[in-house]
Amino acid sequence: MDDRLKKALEFSNYMVTYNNQKRILKQKFLDQNVHYANGSKFKINREFITFINLLLQKGQTKDVTIIDDNDNPAQILDFAKFVDDVMNIYAKNVNHYYTQLHKIKKRDIKDVLGR
Amino acid sequence: MTKGVILFANNNDEIDYVRQAIFCAKHIKKHLNLPVSLITDSEKHLQTKYSHLIDIFDKVISAEKIQVYQRKTFRDGRQVSKKLQWNNFNRSDAYNLTPYDETIVMDTDYIVGNDLLLNCFKLNDDFMIWKDSLYINPYGKPWEIRYVSDTSIEMYWATVFYFKKNKKMETFFELLKYIKENWNYYRWIYQISGRNFRNDFAFSIAIHIMNGFESSTHWPTNPPGSLYYIFDRDLVEDFKDDEFTFLCTLPNDNSNYSVATTKDLNVHVMNKIGLEQLIERQGI
Repeated sequence: MDDRLKKALEFSNYMVTYNNQKRILKQKFLDQNVHYANGSKFKINREFITFINLLLQKGQTKDVTIIDDNDNPAQILDFAKFVDDVMNIYAKNVNHYYTQLHKIKKRDIKDVLGR
Repeated sequence: MTKGVILFANNNDEIDYVRQAIFCAKHIKKHLNLPVSLITDSEKHLQTKYSHLIDIFDKVISAEKIQVYQRKTFRDGRQVSKKLQWNNFNRSDAYNLTPYDETIVMDTDYIVGNDLLLNCFKLNDDFMIWKDSLYINPYGKPWEIRYVSDTSIEMYWATVFYFKKNKKMETFFELLKYIKENWNYYRWIYQISGRNFRNDFAFSIAIHIMNGFESSTHWPTNPPGSLYYIFDRDLVEDFKDDEFTFLCTLPNDNSNYSVATTKDLNVHVMNKIGLEQLIERQGI
C-alpha cells in the first residue's frame, strides 16, 4: 500500500475512535445535565439557564410556574434556590466534561481511550 | 412507598442468568443502594451453586418452569454463534410479582455504573421506558434499532423500565399478557417477521394501543440518562472500576474491530456469552 494512503487510513482510524469517545462523553454530559424537582424534569441548557435567570432578574422568587420537559406546568416554591441548584449542576457538569474531553484530545489512541 | 429493583433469571443450557443476576445486583447495590429481588425458575441452582451470595437479594421469588420452544442465536463477536433456548416469557408478570410499590425492572445483562436511575423516584411519571438509545459501536448506524420493523411502530426497549403500581399500570400489564397469549396475531398486525416472542416488541405494541394507536406521545417517558448498548456482534474485552472496554465490529470486515470505552455509564451488554466470560474472570 502506498505510504500516503496508509498514513491517511491510520489517521482515519484514530478519528473514528476519537469522535466516538467524544460522542459518548457528550451524551454522558447531557444525561447528567438535568435537574429533577417537584416531580418534574428540566434539561439544563443555555436557553433554560437564560430563561430562568431572566425570571429571577424580573423579581420572581416564589411560587413560579414554568414548563417542564414533558410540557407540563410545574410550580417552583423557592425559585431562587431552584436557579442556584440549576447553575451548580451546570457548572459541575460542564467542568467535568471539559476535563474529560481534554484528556482524550491527546494524539495517542491509548489516551483517547482513557487508559 | 417501597422502592426496589427486580431481575428475571431463567437459565438455559449454556447461559447462567442467575450468575449474571448476582453480578448485576452487586452493581445495583454499589451505585443505587436499592433492594434487589430475583424472580427465577432456577432457584435450586441459586441455592446449590451460589448459596454464599444469596444475601445480595432482598427476596427470591420462585417462578414456574415452563417448557420453552423458542430459540435464539447468541453470538460472541463475528466468529462464535450458538442457537440456544430463549425463555423471556414472564416479564409481563412484573406487576403481580414485584414486592415494591415503585419498581425498576432490569435485564441481568444491564450493568449499572452510576446513580442516575435513582432520579426515577423523584418524578411523578408512572411509567418510564427508553425509546431512544445509543449504540456504542461507532460504525453501528446500519444496525441501530428504532422501529419494531421497517414498516411498523417505534420500538421501546424493555431492557430497563420503571413503574408505579396504579390502575393504569395494572391495565397495561394485563394487556401485555393478552398480547403474549395472542402473539401470532399481533406480530402479523404489527408486521413483525420473526416468530419469536420479544418483550421489546410486546411492550411497544401495548404502549401503542394504550396511547389510542398513536405514536410520539408523552406517555411513557424516557428514564433518567440514556440507554447505551452493545450487540452480541461486539466483544467485551475488559471491565475494571466501572470502565468497560469493547471491541466493536466493523461492517464488511471480519478480522478487525474498533475499540470503545465507557466509564461510569450504565450499559446493556447484549453479548451474553462475552458477559459470561467476563463474570467468570471476575471470580463469581
